[in-house]
Amino acid sequence: MIENQQILYHKKPLPKKLLNLGLLLFVVGLLGTIAGFFVDSARISFNLVVLTTWLASIGIGSLFFIGIEYLTGAVWSVPFRRVAEINSAIIFVLPILIVPIILNIHSLYHWTHIEAVQNDTILKNKAPYLNETFFIIRTVVFIFLWFLFYYLFISNSRKQDSTSDQKLTKRNSIVSAAFMPVFAISLTFFAIDWLMSLEPHWYSTIFGVYYFAGTFLASLGAFTYISILLNEKGYLVEGLGPDHYYSMGALLFGFTNFWAYIAFSQFMLIWYANLPEETFWFINRGVGSWFYMSIGIILVKFIVPYILLLPQPAKMDPKRLKIAALWILFAHYYDLFWVVMPTFSKNGIPFNWFELVPIVLGLGLFIMVFYYVASKVNLVPIGDPKLRRGVEFHL
Amino acid sequence: MVSNNLYALGALFKDPNKLVKLAKKIVELGYKNWDVHSSYPLHGLPRLMRLKWSPLGYIALILGLTGTSFGVFFTWWTMSVDYPLTIGGKPWFSFPAFVPVLFELTVLLASVGTAIVMLFIIFKFPNNRHPLHDTEYMKKVSVDHCGIVIEAKDKNFDYEKVKALFQEFEPDQILDIYYQEEEVAYKPKVFDWKFITFLVVIAVLTSAVGYLFNNKILYMPPFDFMLNQFRLGPQESSTFFADGFGMRKPVPGTVARGDIYYPFKGKPEEAGAKLINPLLPTKENLALGQEKYNTFCSPCHGWRGEGDSHLNGQFPNPPSLHSEKVRTWSDGRIYHVIVEGQNVMPSYAKQLTEKERWAIVLYIRALQRSLNAKQEDVQ
Amino acid sequence: MSNIDYTIEPEVVEGKPSHSAVNDAIAKPLETKPTWKYYIALGISSTLLLIGAVCLGYSFYYGIGLWGNNQPVGWAVPIVNFVFWVGIGHAGTLISAILFLFRQRWRTGIARFAEAMTIFAVITAGLFPLIHTGRPWLAGYLFPLPNQHHLWVNFTSPLIWDVFAVSTYLTVSFVFWYIGLIPDLAMLRDRTTSKIKKVIYSIFSLGWRHSNRHWNHYEMIYLILAGFATPLVLSVHTIVSFDFAVSILPGWHTTIFPPYFVAGAVFSGFAMVQNVLIIVRKIFNLEHIITLDTLEKMNKVMLATGMMVGYAYGVEFFIAWYSGNPLESFVFLNRAFGNYAWAYWIMVSCNVIFTQLFWFKKIRRSIVPMFIIGVLVNVGMWFERFVIVVTTLSKDFLPSNWDYYKPTLVDIGILLGSFGLFFTLVILFIRSLPVVSISEVKAVIKGSQPGHH
Repeated sequence: MIENQQILYHKKPLPKKLLNLGLLLFVVGLLGTIAGFFVDSARISFNLVVLTTWLASIGIGSLFFIGIEYLTGAVWSVPFRRVAEINSAIIFVLPILIVPIILNIHSLYHWTHIEAVQNDTILKNKAPYLNETFFIIRTVVFIFLWFLFYYLFISNSRKQDSTSDQKLTKRNSIVSAAFMPVFAISLTFFAIDWLMSLEPHWYSTIFGVYYFAGTFLASLGAFTYISILLNEKGYLVEGLGPDHYYSMGALLFGFTNFWAYIAFSQFMLIWYANLPEETFWFINRGVGSWFYMSIGIILVKFIVPYILLLPQPAKMDPKRLKIAALWILFAHYYDLFWVVMPTFSKNGIPFNWFELVPIVLGLGLFIMVFYYVASKVNLVPIGDPKLRRGVEFHL
Repeated sequence: MVSNNLYALGALFKDPNKLVKLAKKIVELGYKNWDVHSSYPLHGLPRLMRLKWSPLGYIALILGLTGTSFGVFFTWWTMSVDYPLTIGGKPWFSFPAFVPVLFELTVLLASVGTAIVMLFIIFKFPNNRHPLHDTEYMKKVSVDHCGIVIEAKDKNFDYEKVKALFQEFEPDQILDIYYQEEEVAYKPKVFDWKFITFLVVIAVLTSAVGYLFNNKILYMPPFDFMLNQFRLGPQESSTFFADGFGMRKPVPGTVARGDIYYPFKGKPEEAGAKLINPLLPTKENLALGQEKYNTFCSPCHGWRGEGDSHLNGQFPNPPSLHSEKVRTWSDGRIYHVIVEGQNVMPSYAKQLTEKERWAIVLYIRALQRSLNAKQEDVQ
Repeated sequence: MSNIDYTIEPEVVEGKPSHSAVNDAIAKPLETKPTWKYYIALGISSTLLLIGAVCLGYSFYYGIGLWGNNQPVGWAVPIVNFVFWVGIGHAGTLISAILFLFRQRWRTGIARFAEAMTIFAVITAGLFPLIHTGRPWLAGYLFPLPNQHHLWVNFTSPLIWDVFAVSTYLTVSFVFWYIGLIPDLAMLRDRTTSKIKKVIYSIFSLGWRHSNRHWNHYEMIYLILAGFATPLVLSVHTIVSFDFAVSILPGWHTTIFPPYFVAGAVFSGFAMVQNVLIIVRKIFNLEHIITLDTLEKMNKVMLATGMMVGYAYGVEFFIAWYSGNPLESFVFLNRAFGNYAWAYWIMVSCNVIFTQLFWFKKIRRSIVPMFIIGVLVNVGMWFERFVIVVTTLSKDFLPSNWDYYKPTLVDIGILLGSFGLFFTLVILFIRSLPVVSISEVKAVIKGSQPGHH
């Protein structure tokens, strides 16, 4: 047993190339988005909804991951926790992204049309909840809450780098416990507002859990990919290897199954009961080329990651894990696209530069934010009392 | 203790770290038939002992896939081939509804099967006659020691050398483990008379219980309550009603649902004169007529209306529909025959809706035309 | 314990008992004569069992007209009991499989016991669908066997899914439990001095000889079985929830049912395991193996799952309003303020409100309050199923059909009997098999494992 040996960490700055790449993607994406607003503002707005919910997934999911680490007392993820912390900083782009969306809210959400609501008994009943003011208030409050918990988690964690104070871990555990209910409620209503109310007549009680499953998967995907990449390039500390990777692989695998379980439950119950007020959501996703996308989601979001991650050795193989992690990030985008876009284009999958631009913009934003935050902090929480146990973690 | 043979030499340790050092040495020296015993799995030993990665994962995968494919086949065959039933308006092969069963079959076969493979094939259990059983060595391992044995059958085995090797690592105890030839060599026989008797007794008992249960007990109270209920079957008499009939007649003037009043009852000529076919000879109407004709009329009148069915010659011959008389009848007159029947032909009003009757009339007209085509039909 | 040292791993087993002391402590109940307390406990539980048996015999002879089931409420207390007991079973698999996969080592002390409780709870649960059919001797037709009618079971029916799920669950739990027992049985075999016991232990330990060549496979199969048991446990209560959710009845047909039922099942199961463990560790002096830390963690899990259940209540209520479907909103308002409001508020207060006390560390770590909360949780969860089953049925689509359901004495007798069956099995188990996995406990005692080099 190595008892009193210090864990050595030297901060290595990320390559400048990365920032340039991020900037390039961002500029291309931004120009494309602006062009999109001039050509077809409705279409680009729908795509921005996909992007926003995707980036929100990565950010809030990472916060959730940090909270779970503190609550369960997990140690294997401690050396990588900074990655999740930096990933969660992506929530700071949400206020910027939602502005153009809210300006175009009429082309997105049917319930914002007052004359349509007046002639629709069901929508009239929902008006106390589904109206523009309350929608904006809710969104702002949720984002504020996420910022608040981001601040609490991150400030404690960073303070620990210099003080190595164990009380900060304790404090963050309390913050985590408080965060869990906030997370559950905010994420559910965020999903109902931004995704479910695109079809204002449709309802499904599991929808919040459905979005949560994808959210956690996406954040795990980002976490796994970046952690392995940084570790391979030597930005983290010595001694992290297959045993840690295995935990990431197992989580990705487990939550892939969880997503499939939730998605199947939702589909199955609606399909079986066959009530017209619910089935139309799935029927809309069987029109024209949407049918293939609906079948594809089983393949993309369940079968491919399932097969990639099924064998025990695969969960420890960094190469395979990186592919799977990126694939899962893509799959979550695919999933959200499948949830959002049929409202815009009823007859088939729209695919053009409109659909690609937000991805470019999102990647650019993500890389820039990551680079910016990573340049300011240590990439390993060197003051965390659980760090040594984390590094020495064995299965 | 005459036939005692040396099985192995064992060393017992309280400290697993010492054991690990010895185990490393043994691997270096190239012994093959050796083993480590501990009452809980020691971390890292499989790697140290150079054991192969357990194949159970693949076995579980294969068994699981077998379970799934059997499930898919079985649900498909029972639900959409052998006895298809439409349930809840769903297709016969409603895959989403079978998923729960498929999943359970997969898990059942994979987990139980893998456990069986491990216990009975890989470990060759049950085996209570292994030389190590009931030895001092095993007893200590069960409590608080871990031990290493090197078997005598290893080709590098040399009693003195192994003992010296063991002593080098300061074990708490070194033991010689012996076994008796006859005890280990014992093999259970299939045709042992005790075993056969046992099987026969079991078979007789199960058959007797099965017979009693299925043929006697199920016909005794309370199991027969469903067979003897306080109600009347069809056509049974009743003492409750004055007329003694168990089945009651409907109230006079009751009209059955869907029953339509037919004004030309017993007035064939009037019907022929006044009724007009409301259907046009469209493809759909003719197809409907053909279907219904083939179902209801062809058993007597024959497929083409020539009266050439099976009944020809066994019965008053069914008339041909191509006779001069029928050809000159109006549509309404034929319709009347369908509704009322004629001679031995019964009424078909109960079996056919109004539309279907008229469609049959259209079809009969088409049949007649086919045998007595006019000049202009050819052109 | 206010300041935890995060730099060292918390010990699972308190103190550092020697391996032979662990053997002695765990094998003691099997080798000593039980005290009078044991007989009193057994007497109470078998009396309950007898009451249940009498009520059941009565129902078999005279028919299920003796129960309170009436015209709209055809699924009543028997189905409530079924769902309740299946739910109790879930904690065992969660502890033994899911926590194993997450490498939560505090499960070690309680896993065996929880697994046994799973098996007993599923056995108890399995009774209810059978008796609810009224003619349990015809239950053979539930299995897809070739028969003289040339009929197969209806695989699209959730009731058949239940048959498959519950029987698979029972089988796999049993295999999992038995595989875990083999090394312990071998230990008992080598320890016992009685000849008869030796034969029995030899038969059931199958000739296990603690070989590390075997442990290699053994650890693998444990992982595989845990990997299978985890989705299995989700699927079982999911399928139980499908019994309700695939229908079109408002209050039953809602998509959140699967995860909501699973969370509720784990919740009630943990409460039951916690209750029984508190008693067992006291009576058999296992406080150093089933530690207070373990109980505190269980309470945390109960707090978390209780909030998940609360989340589901909230979402259901919100969506019932949001859907704009008048039937949905009627059912939920009826639950909260109709003639079953008493049951509804028992459910909410027991499941959501009282468990919030577990936010306080002091309550999480003191035996009597946590025991009481555990009992309340189970009361609440029983009423949750009661609310779901009965309120929806008693006021269905046709107001002329509405009726108020009350369980009869026979119903209550059968419910008591189910507790009797469960606890009798538990009490017999305590005296016949090791209640804590000896090999697992030994493996986590400090100094048992060679150091990593």
